[in-house]
Amino acid sequence: MSADSVQDGLPATGPVVHVRGLTKRYSGWSLFGKKPIDALRGVDISARGGEVFGLLGPNGAGKTTLIKVLLGVVKPTGGEATLFGQSVGSISARQRVGYLPEALRVDRHHTARSALHYYGRLSGMGVVQIAKRSDELLELVGLRDRDRESVARFSKGMYQRLGLAQALMHDPDLLILDEPTDGLDPVGRNEVRKVIDRLCEQGKTIFLNSHILQEVEMVCTRVAILSRGKIRGTGTVRQLSEGLASEVVNFELMPREGSELTPVIEAIAQELNLESHQLQPSAADENITEFTARLPERHQVDQVVDRLRGSDVSILGLEMKRPTLEELFMQLVNGDDS
Amino acid sequence: MIPYLAVLRDSFRAAFASRVLWIAFVAIWILLSALAPIGYREEFTTQFRPQDFYNGTRLKAMLAQGLVDPEVADQPIGRIAAAMPEDLAKQLRRVGEGDEVRILLRVLAGALNLCLDEESWFDRDAWKETLQFRELRELEAMSDPLEESLRRRRARLRLEVALPGVFETRAARSIRLTYAGLDFPANFSTDKTQFLILLNQYVLPVIIEWLMGFVLVFLGILVTASMIPEMLQPGSLHLLLSKPVSRSLLLISKFVGGCAFVFLCVSQLVAGLYLIAGLRLDIWNLGLLWCIPVSVFLFSVFYSVSTFAGLVWRSPILSIGVTSIFGSICLVVGIIGGLFDGLVTRPHSLRNIAVVGDVLMGNTLGGGLVWWNDKEGGWTEIFETNPLGADRVIPPVALNSSAVATARVRGGRLNPFGSGAPDLLVLTEDSGWIAEPSLRLPAGTTSLYRVGSEIIALNGGELASASLTDVLELAGAEKQLNGEQEPDDGLSGSGDASGKARTDTTGWLSKLSTMMGGVTEGFQKLLPPQVSLAPPRSLAFAEDGSFLIVFSRGRLMRFDSAGGESENWNLTANELLEGEASQKGLVAISGETLIVARDDSPLVLCDIQTLQQQGSVSFSDSLTALFVLGIPTEPEDEDRFLLGTSDGRIRQVIWSPDTTEFRLSGPIGPTEVECVEVDADKQVVYVAHHIDQIDLLGLADFERLDRRKPQVSSWRLVDRYVISPLRMIIPQTGELGESIEAIISGESAKTVLSGPNAGEVVRYNLIRPITSCSLFIVVMLITSCYYFTTRDF
Repeated sequence: MSADSVQDGLPATGPVVHVRGLTKRYSGWSLFGKKPIDALRGVDISARGGEVFGLLGPNGAGKTTLIKVLLGVVKPTGGEATLFGQSVGSISARQRVGYLPEALRVDRHHTARSALHYYGRLSGMGVVQIAKRSDELLELVGLRDRDRESVARFSKGMYQRLGLAQALMHDPDLLILDEPTDGLDPVGRNEVRKVIDRLCEQGKTIFLNSHILQEVEMVCTRVAILSRGKIRGTGTVRQLSEGLASEVVNFELMPREGSELTPVIEAIAQELNLESHQLQPSAADENITEFTARLPERHQVDQVVDRLRGSDVSILGLEMKRPTLEELFMQLVNGDDS
Repeated sequence: MIPYLAVLRDSFRAAFASRVLWIAFVAIWILLSALAPIGYREEFTTQFRPQDFYNGTRLKAMLAQGLVDPEVADQPIGRIAAAMPEDLAKQLRRVGEGDEVRILLRVLAGALNLCLDEESWFDRDAWKETLQFRELRELEAMSDPLEESLRRRRARLRLEVALPGVFETRAARSIRLTYAGLDFPANFSTDKTQFLILLNQYVLPVIIEWLMGFVLVFLGILVTASMIPEMLQPGSLHLLLSKPVSRSLLLISKFVGGCAFVFLCVSQLVAGLYLIAGLRLDIWNLGLLWCIPVSVFLFSVFYSVSTFAGLVWRSPILSIGVTSIFGSICLVVGIIGGLFDGLVTRPHSLRNIAVVGDVLMGNTLGGGLVWWNDKEGGWTEIFETNPLGADRVIPPVALNSSAVATARVRGGRLNPFGSGAPDLLVLTEDSGWIAEPSLRLPAGTTSLYRVGSEIIALNGGELASASLTDVLELAGAEKQLNGEQEPDDGLSGSGDASGKARTDTTGWLSKLSTMMGGVTEGFQKLLPPQVSLAPPRSLAFAEDGSFLIVFSRGRLMRFDSAGGESENWNLTANELLEGEASQKGLVAISGETLIVARDDSPLVLCDIQTLQQQGSVSFSDSLTALFVLGIPTEPEDEDRFLLGTSDGRIRQVIWSPDTTEFRLSGPIGPTEVECVEVDADKQVVYVAHHIDQIDLLGLADFERLDRRKPQVSSWRLVDRYVISPLRMIIPQTGELGESIEAIISGESAKTVLSGPNAGEVVRYNLIRPITSCSLFIVVMLITSCYYFTTRDF
């Protein structure tokens, strides 16, 4: 996989991660007997080569289960999941995967260098190769000066850096990063983002699980929002936003002199049965009033414009408002709740 | 394999990083430092110790006679008795007057040791008639003054020859343990052979069993119990499982790596003991190094449980708890198994069998006498086997096709065959195998032989013969005398209280003579005067009874029958064998060949006329000869012997006069052989095996002709169908101690040193503990791997 395959920010190669109808049911017990828990309920996602794929979801949504399935740690109950076209859990698939767990545990007798040696050997690397790669990666994650220090004295951020280094040790084609910037200071986060960008340029596929939406928005080419074991939306942030963009429309209005705007708006809202709307003076010009309403259908926008014009209200501006990723996330998750 | 080797290597790194390991290392180094100053020095064997006495009763009687019989006052025993301390002399006089006086062996040893310091009791003329050992002759030939150690050695030997039949044979030179160059405060002097046996079979195994079997295993479990639960922590496990490794192999690597802790500790300890034993005691026993893998193997049994518990519950505390419970179960099953061995099965094992016409008769380890009852398909008890009893039954001897002779001896204080003179018991088929007393046997009789028309009894140092006709007649007369009385229960032959004794026991001299093992009425002394069969000894009679070859104290002697019943047998050949006089030996005759099987030596084959060695056959160092039988042959046939070895098998030794070659066959017949009897008339070899089963083998080809498998008691059924399977399922970790003993000693059996079964050879049980432990580990690992592979984590 090479950087050439990435065109216009969107990779053009086939899926590296392919999940179809994936289900996972854990058998649980309660006082009243068996109580199975459906962690994944027909998940469909696909991450193509060279892209940074973000997985979002609230706690308990099934993100960790999905990652465990991709790593072969957990066996799916149903559906299909492949990495590089090979069944998840197969040794050949795992040879091409680098994984950074959310809370990395490294035995206390290790130093950063010995830990990299250990994980490198687990990946089947040679000693010389490990030594060379360790130097590069320790430099990359900023642990070069503390590579002989016991990990027992490492902070959480240093553990994360070490974790990232070990995930990159065998130069994997797919990186599964579970909260990669957790515990890092802003400088560290920035460095991690740079590493991700660089890897992306190298054509690596990155599967990112993060709670930090801003970070996902910044680095991910595509995201999937998972809630209660189901995918609520998949695509680029723009695509997801476009799907919801027409809903919120902001009008800048100036009523005819001497006339009241409020009765006009109330009448329109009643006539068009608007679910929510808001009327407030513009912060920039006290003569201008801003009217914000949720208009899910485009013809509703036209109707509002017609009514306003019919009431002799001047429309100074009209803005279709694009939601932030957080708003999208909340909408999708809350939509699921409703 | 790279990933799994990395896991192994990482386990060693983790072990080295463990503080507990370094604490254990320091403890081991302290222990080794404490043991390192132990050394030894060799010196002449002079001091008497209680265990040097073969027959304390005889010594007591001889000294008592020396004090009370004026006729022997100037003889060696009189002179030695006169040198006894006053307190002891008083007690000995009471013995001489017929009182029952208990004198401790250590008191007798102490008194004799005083004689070593001051030799006024010695008189060259008085000692002229005593049998002179070669070593004593050499010392006597040296001019005075001798060095103190040599003088004391000579004094000891003078005492030994003056008191024949009293002492065990000890090596001329002994080992004395030292610590940092100083002699041990307590007297541990022992000969080198005993020292090696003691060290290899008892001291080192005990150190290793306790330190490794208990302390290190427990410590190891405490340290390693957290390894698997820690591996299962999400941040660790998911990362490991994301690597291209097999879960099963990962777990096995972790398991093997977990043994690293114990391996490192055991290696240090064993290597240290090996070096100390080698550098300080001159015992370079490579077998000791085998304790490293065996100890790790032992640990891995417990660690496999800890691993499984760690996988299931993911808690180190629960792992330790479950492993401790498992250890307790092993211990309980081991104790129950040991009790069944000691109380249910072993007492019934056949020690000797005799063929009486068509009937098989045998005596058991538990003091029982049994005969094979075809109707019932099992052994019928004549004397009940009592696991806790100390009584012994002298191996039965067929007198004719319907009568058998034996004796029942109560366990005495001073020697295993008691101090009294038991009655010879005759059992006939016609009387329903009821024991009828006959002649009184010489005191301390251990074996009976039927040679031609004579029955011969062997006791502490004498051979005495009685007419077979007298024996049988007397048993029949007794029956008539008793008339309607209850049959004898066989317990009457225990000592001097029997009212059925045929000897005149009223006189004190006769009583002392009986105590000393002298002949009783009806028996005649067989060997020439001054000849005493000092232990270790073994006898073989010619098939026609015309001569006898004796192995005694490292010497072969041939005695030929003089013809007349009252005359002694004459010494016609005499040959000193190489090696320590204290080395045990067994002899048997086949055709024109005598075989001598000695501990730790090749089999020696000699000409029966000259006793000159004709050749030797080597066999495994780990095997010890337990019994040897000559197979009667025709003159033109090859001479053949059956050799029973400590691995529980029998082998055939063949001497071909044509090729003048000796051959030792591989194992033949069944396993776990107890004893063997040859019936030349029927051309059958009876092999007792697996406690009390009998296989009948053809004498020519050793093909099995028949098997007699007795019905067993309900307790033995419980042992067979409950306890034994349980001991196979539950790993017998305790029995692995036997494996360690076997490895260190390089032997397949050991001799019980003390207790009621002293002298009994016990085979090391190697197969069961290793099989059960191996199977258990495999099952536990397969179960753990299955669990680890199929579970979601």
